[in-house]
Amino acid sequence: MTPAVPGSRPDPDAGQRERARPDPRRRGAGIEVAGLRKEFRTRHGRVAAVAGIEFRVAPGEFVGYAGPNGAGKSTTVKMMSGVLVPSAGTVVVDGLVPWRERRRLARRMGVVFGQRTQLWWDLPLVDSLDLVRHLYHMEEPTWRRRLDELASLLGLGPLLSQPVRALSLGQRMRAELAAAVLPGPRVLFLDEPTIGLDVEAKAAVRGFLRHLNAADGTTIILTTHDLDDITQLCSRLIIIDHGRIVYDGTIDDLHTAYGSTRMLVVDLADPTAALTTGPDWAGAQVVRAEGHRRWIRFARDQISAAQLVALVLDRHQVIDLSIVEPDIEDVIRRIYRGEAPPATDG
Amino acid sequence: MAELARPTGGGLAVYGRLVSAGVRGRVYRPGWLLVRTIGSGLIILADGFAVALVVDRFGTLAGWSAPEVVLLVALSAAGQGLGLLLGDRLEPTYFSELVRRGTFDQVLVRPTSPLAWLIATQVEARYVGRLLAGVGMVAWAADRSGVVWSGGHLLVALLALVCCATLVLSICVLGAALTFATVEGSEVVNIFIYGGVTLTGYPVQIYGSVLRFLFVWVVPFALAVYVPALVLLGRTGPPGLPAALIWVSPVATAGFTGLAALGWRHGLRHYVGTGS
Repeated sequence: MTPAVPGSRPDPDAGQRERARPDPRRRGAGIEVAGLRKEFRTRHGRVAAVAGIEFRVAPGEFVGYAGPNGAGKSTTVKMMSGVLVPSAGTVVVDGLVPWRERRRLARRMGVVFGQRTQLWWDLPLVDSLDLVRHLYHMEEPTWRRRLDELASLLGLGPLLSQPVRALSLGQRMRAELAAAVLPGPRVLFLDEPTIGLDVEAKAAVRGFLRHLNAADGTTIILTTHDLDDITQLCSRLIIIDHGRIVYDGTIDDLHTAYGSTRMLVVDLADPTAALTTGPDWAGAQVVRAEGHRRWIRFARDQISAAQLVALVLDRHQVIDLSIVEPDIEDVIRRIYRGEAPPATDG
Repeated sequence: MAELARPTGGGLAVYGRLVSAGVRGRVYRPGWLLVRTIGSGLIILADGFAVALVVDRFGTLAGWSAPEVVLLVALSAAGQGLGLLLGDRLEPTYFSELVRRGTFDQVLVRPTSPLAWLIATQVEARYVGRLLAGVGMVAWAADRSGVVWSGGHLLVALLALVCCATLVLSICVLGAALTFATVEGSEVVNIFIYGGVTLTGYPVQIYGSVLRFLFVWVVPFALAVYVPALVLLGRTGPPGLPAALIWVSPVATAGFTGLAALGWRHGLRHYVGTGS
């Protein structure tokens, strides 16, 4: 967590020097969340949408924030971005308390709430981006350079002169991203940025986010239902359910913790052959056989794919084979159902 | 890459740009805007005409001639036009929509004052029609009432206009603050915006003591419009509400505005938004 050092940032020559010596690491914001609660009053009394959560995000991290509907995802993001005041606990984003220093934080933060627009519906896209320049007090040359860069990264060139209402959903989402990151935020909060997009548009958005995180070191918090977003982009996954964090770690660790298994699918030359398993198979077992095809399930921490393939090739004539990675949705469904990770003794 | 956004600076100019962007967005259909602008002015002219006819039928109203009463109608109409120009979209029916759709969440992540943002981005240009019609009607009624305009008179008329507009805007802000709690739209605010302004169009002495108290000391429309009108017309005013109270007009208006600002801040602090 980098504390805000007064006087360390405003620097009239920063524009010039930065171009010569870019340093991605100084860009990202750190986030600290502790004992965070938010209660809402409803007809049935007080309900805790967020019931005491803790986590830290290091500058430059790309964190996926997942959970079923009503788990408290949006509420958390709104507290981190200064929209909502927590009932208890603390949040510090880039050294600032969001709801107390809302406007200062807003200058260093980008937010894209999916399905809502921050653009001027009836004006040409470039007008909205020009308003962003004034709202964030950007120098005209800096703005121009950044706009050119984003326009080429996001393919916005031909769209700039079009009114926002005339853009397709995929085009608009790219435009929203451009508007959000134009002022060079240190942290970006994204809420369902790929919802409703087709495959190509999703790929464009993901590619851009990956670039932003890598090139600028922008800290990104991504809330999504699309687990592909998370597996493709995020180095870390936080899962929230009923207002509590039920998982915080890497995706690999998640699979290990929940003992999720991979599958080796082989097509044998002889459809009648029985796959011979032995003690060296280390837990791998044939779970299905159909014609030429055999499905073998194995755990990544017990036997590697290479070892298993070698064993099979050693004993059988194989026409074809493939490895199916575990389905993260399956793991997450188990978490939502309240299954605890199986106890692991060493 | 540089720290692209500068930490401070800008100021009012930004809000000017927001106003311009909002209006340009609406001018997208210029014909429609023109019709609505003229319409918002015509309503006021019709109001003034009707009042003039009725009062004229009876000679005077509480000692006020028809043009003198029209002056009251015109001042409050012009003030209402200016107030609604800025505040119409804060009215609960619209504002609850912004809250429900989550648009207001979006406003809160901007590096601006949310209230100033709402006012600037949602200027209702058509109320220019009401403002202009009101001002025109003030000129006509003043002329017919024998007002000889001096610099002082102009200042007093301007004071009435600004105070009335500020009260209308403050009521809109209070209505929006109320919407934070209810989330639903409510008609209560309209009673004050439209009812209040209509009542302000008549000499205060025709009202009973409760209503009078309400309009002098609670929502001080009488101080904002009636008292300056007394000064313009060279009248001394009824007991308890003399023309000499003119200096209280801006003070009372500022007081009510302060109240509205507190209400807004309280509402904002307890803002819960909607679902996701």
